[in-house]
Formats: sequence, C-alpha cells, structure tokens
Amino acid sequence: MTTTTTEPNPTEFEGGIVLETNGLTKKFGALTAVDDVSLEIESGTINSIIGPNGAGKTTLFNLFTGKHEPTSGSIKFRGVDIGGRKPHEIVADGIVRSYQITNFFSELTTLENVRLATQARQTGFRPTDFVRHHGSVQEPIDEARRVLERVHLGDVAQRRAANLSYGQRRHLEIAISLAADPDLLLMDEPTAGMSPEETRETVELITEIAEDVTLVLIEHDMEIVMDISDRIAVMNMGSLLARGTPEEIQQDDRVQEAYLGGGDRD
Amino acid sequence: MKAVTEFFDRSTHSRTGNQLLSSQGRFALLVSIAVLAVAAPIVQMIHPFWLNLMVRMMIFALLALSLDFVFGYAGLLSFGHAAMFGAGGYAAAIVITEVTPHALVVLPIAVVAGVVIAALIGWLSVRARGIYFAMLTLAFAQMFYVVAFTDLPATILDRGSVTGGDNGLYGIGMYELFGIDFTSTLMYFYLTLGLVALSLAIIIRLANSQFGRVLQGIRENEERIEFIGYDVQRYKVVGFAISGGFAGLAGGLYVPFQSVAHPGLLHWMISGELIVMLLLGGMGTLWGPMLGAGLVVLLEEQLAGFASWEIILGGIFVGVVIFAPRGLAGILISLRNDPGSAVENAKQAVRDYLEAVRG
Ligand SMILES: Nc1ncnc2c1ncn2[C@@H]1O[C@H](COP(=O)(O)OP(=O)(O)OP(=O)(O)O)[C@@H](O)[C@H]1O
Ligand SMILES: [Mg+2]
Repeated sequence: MTTTTTEPNPTEFEGGIVLETNGLTKKFGALTAVDDVSLEIESGTINSIIGPNGAGKTTLFNLFTGKHEPTSGSIKFRGVDIGGRKPHEIVADGIVRSYQITNFFSELTTLENVRLATQARQTGFRPTDFVRHHGSVQEPIDEARRVLERVHLGDVAQRRAANLSYGQRRHLEIAISLAADPDLLLMDEPTAGMSPEETRETVELITEIAEDVTLVLIEHDMEIVMDISDRIAVMNMGSLLARGTPEEIQQDDRVQEAYLGGGDRD
Repeated sequence: MKAVTEFFDRSTHSRTGNQLLSSQGRFALLVSIAVLAVAAPIVQMIHPFWLNLMVRMMIFALLALSLDFVFGYAGLLSFGHAAMFGAGGYAAAIVITEVTPHALVVLPIAVVAGVVIAALIGWLSVRARGIYFAMLTLAFAQMFYVVAFTDLPATILDRGSVTGGDNGLYGIGMYELFGIDFTSTLMYFYLTLGLVALSLAIIIRLANSQFGRVLQGIRENEERIEFIGYDVQRYKVVGFAISGGFAGLAGGLYVPFQSVAHPGLLHWMISGELIVMLLLGGMGTLWGPMLGAGLVVLLEEQLAGFASWEIILGGIFVGVVIFAPRGLAGILISLRNDPGSAVENAKQAVRDYLEAVRG
C-alpha cells in the first residue's frame, strides 16, 4: 500500500484552519476598534478571546459575521474570503454567533425562537413556503425540540421568551445560535451575569457543544478560560497582544502586566 | 362547518405556541361574514344608502388589512400605502375605459399594479429602517401623487390624458362578470364581501406560513433574524409587494364603485387615515384593523358634517393611544378572556393616564 496524500483527507481537514484573518482592521471614525489582527482558528478547538472592556472583542465578532465590513485586511473562512459578504450568507456558510446581551424574540415562545433558526436552513421563497402552515412542517419543529432538550429548556418550550429566568434566557440565546447549525460558533460572554451554579452548567454545555463545533468564546472569567480553552488570544486596545495555549498565556509577561494584573494566579 | 372555518386557518391547535386566530376567532369571522351577507338585503330595503356605506367600509377594511400585514405584522412602517391603493384604482379605471370591463381581467390587473408599485417603493426603501423607512415610503407615495396630479404619463407618452390630472378620470364604467348587474349596490356588496373574505383568508394563510413567521420575526428582532440566516431585505420587499397587491385590489374595488379615479386616492391623507384605522383596530391582529377601518369610515360619514374631519381623526388617534393602546382588538380580547374586568380596565386606563399627566 502506498500512502499518497494527493487526495484531500477529511481527517486532515479536521485539524486544518477554519478561520484566518490577515491584518484585519476596523475603524469607527478616529477610533480603531480592531487594529491589524492576524490569527487562525483551528478546526475542532475551543478558542478564547480575552481582554479588557472596549478591547475590540465584540467588534471582531461583528467583522466575522458580516455586521461590519473590514476597513482593511481579510477574513477567510475555509480558505474563502468572506469580508463584505452579507450576514445571512455567512450564516449559510457556517459561522453563527450568540450575543453578549440577550437578543431574541421576546414576544414569541421559546420553541418558536429556536424554530425560526432551524427553519432558516430549509425555507426560502418556494411556493410551499408561502402556503404551508408553519406548524405543519415537522422537521424544523422536531429539530428545535432536540436543541431545546440539549440546553435543558424542553420544559419551557411553550413559555413566552420574555418570561424566562435569566439563566434560561442565556441558554435560549445559545440554543438559537446552535439551531442555526454552525460549524464555527462565536459566543460572546456566554456566562456573563450567571450564578456559580448556572456558570457550571453553561460550561458543561459549552464543552459538550465543542465536541462537534469549533468554538470561539469571549469570556471574562479567567478560571473558565484557562480551564476549557485550547488556544487563547489576548486583545488590548484593538490589537492582538498575545496568542498561545493557556500555559503560554499565563507565563506571558506582557499579558500579566496589561491584563491579568501581575501574577496573582499561580 | 369545520371545512369552512379551515378556509381561514387550518391550524387545529397551536404547535409552536403563537396562534393568530383561535378556533373561536375563526368562528367569529365566519359568523361576521354570514351576518353581513344576510343583513345586506335587509339594509337595502330599509335604507339603500347604508349599503353603499357598508361597501366603502369593507373596501377600506381590505386596505387596512393589507397595511396591517406589513405594518403591524412585519413591523414595516409604511406611511405610503395610498400609492398602491391609487395605483390599483387608476389601473382599473384605465383598463375598464380603454380595454374591457371584465372583472376577471381588471381586478387582477389592479392587483398587479399594486404589487409593482409596492415592489418598487419597497425595494427603494428597505435599505432604511424604522422611521427612515416610513419617511421614504411617504416621500415615494407623494411622488406618485404628483405623477397622477400633473398627469406625467400623458407628457411622457405624448397623449392628451392618462390620469386626467387634478380632475382625475370620471364616469368609470361598472364591472361585468357572468352577466351580473353590478350597478346594483347589493350585487357589488356581495362581490366586495367575497373578495374581502378571500383576501383575509389568504393573508391569514400567508401570516401563518413559514414566510409569514419570518416577517413576524423581523418585527420582533430584525438584527437577530438576519444573524440566524435570513435575507431580511428580500423578505421585506416580497412582503411589501404582497401587501401592495391587496391594496391594489382595494383600489380596484373602490374606483368603479365611485365611478371616479382622482389623485386624492394617492394622497398622504389616506395613508394617515389608514394608520389611525390600524391603531384604533389593534395593530398586528389583522382582523382588528378591519374593524378600525369600518369604524373610521362610518364616523367620517356621520361626523364630517359637524366639525373638521381632521380634528375628529386626530381626536380618535389621541384617545386610542391613551386609553386603548391595543385598540378594539385588545378590548375584545380582554373582554373574552375576562368579561367582568371591562369596567375595571377602563377605570385603570383613566387612572394611569391621569397619573401620567400629573407626572
Ligand atoms: N458601531 C460602533 N460605532 C462606533 N464605535 C464602536 C462601535 N462598536 C464598537 N465601538 C467601539 O469600539 C471599541 C471596541 O468595542 P467592543 O464592543 O468591540 O469591545 P469589547 O472588547 O467587546 O468590550 P466589552 O468587554 O466591554 O464587551 C469601543 O471603544 C467601542 O466604543
Ligand atoms: Mg463585547
């Protein structure tokens, strides 16, 4: 047997680069929110972005998902430049985000919130999409229910989203993004404002999700970051300060100085 | 009976937890239509003028319904729906006069005229959001008003008259269909009732479809719906065009009935009245605005002689916003849910208002 590697090998792709930015920059007038950021996200990994308030973390997500167009630099997803593409096209490509501030359809039920996301993949402007009752199209409903079970919201499927508890809302936020079937999921502070118990549950959920989705987290809780990340990127004032494994980041003097506040961790 | 209620909405129960019409609601709609159908000949006997008024009420109910589909249901603040109403009206007037009065030809053309104008206005306006979208639709609608008022098409096509300028088009003939005499108000009443009921059924169907639920999602949270993978602008343009088709149909019903098409059909005053109809009826419920429209047309007929209609309309607007923010539909729904609470609710609304005024 010969071991030629001429044909693309799926396992090879597994370990490949899914997202790559080069000199990515975003300016708002005089303010440079993201400044010359070059990084790669490896498939199948958990990546965290940390940095002080206003460092440009959320703006980076906004660039990845097409909310903002880069001022300069490029973003490649699986080798294809996605800079300037529309948000819905980027979702179809496989990049989905969740929000720092809960951002869903508060007047609709929990189930309907998620069903809208599962429906997105198979509906369009075909004649049947205009005439068939949404409740009689089974697949998106079943799928939405599966996602709700996964985030432990199965019991409140028929409750109005506005009436969910804080922890449940944060889970719904994740559920909606999951339902859009991402290959790369960008999570903006998924544990913000949670009790220790809720945080633990959410971290469990995140590691579970990471089994089949590449993750990028923005997270302030250092304990979580160091615990679950494969790779960490540190941002400060728009620039990438450092990148590396949790161990490398913990030992990086610049990071210690700028962000971790000088070695109060061991 | 079940088959007939299903004409309006086939959802037997709410699988996804948000239902537009309960089975009671569907039943109530059917009863209303049946009552109208039975009452018409009686009204005709007692006081023929009232039947004429009822036809106009129904036409405006259709127009309000078409607006609510985008304004209340999809959250697209159109301040220019008169343009589609006028487009359908002028299209009907011109086709009846120049080509044929056959209803099965003219009415579809009126619908298409509404769709085309709405698609155009929608396509030009959806890049803006919220109040800016509203201003653009208003501006484009006013442009169409000017086009009709100055008879721009006549200048462009180098013809004597197309829209008839500020005088409009007079003496528009009546529809012909299966030898029915539509000059009889009663027959026209049934034509209108049939088309309004059909339109309502279609719009409810659309609202309940996957497409319709995306529109609702856009109303609830435009950013999020985009970031779960929907092409929001395309959905808006398509929704707006569909709505315009029904507005065009309303115009096509109105013009032959009044036997005149004039620029006033396109005036922003009509768009403004429509918004009062929506507010009064209860936005986003689809049936509420139809009630609101009927009531506004009735009041205009009865009260316009006593005082300036604009002032009365303004008064209704203010009154509804303060005392019944969810409109007639809101009142009816809370009455159904808890009949005993009506008086208490009214008192509470007044108390809330007085408190708000005192600061
Ligand atoms: N749309 C915008 N227009 C103008 N300035 C913006 C915009 N979005 C973000 N900024 C600015 O860019 C900078 C980076 O903001 P960003 O939200 O990306 O920070 P962050 O790292 O997510 O902070 P936090 O931890 O507080 O969420 C801030 O100074 C912010 O005010
Ligand atoms: Mg942020």
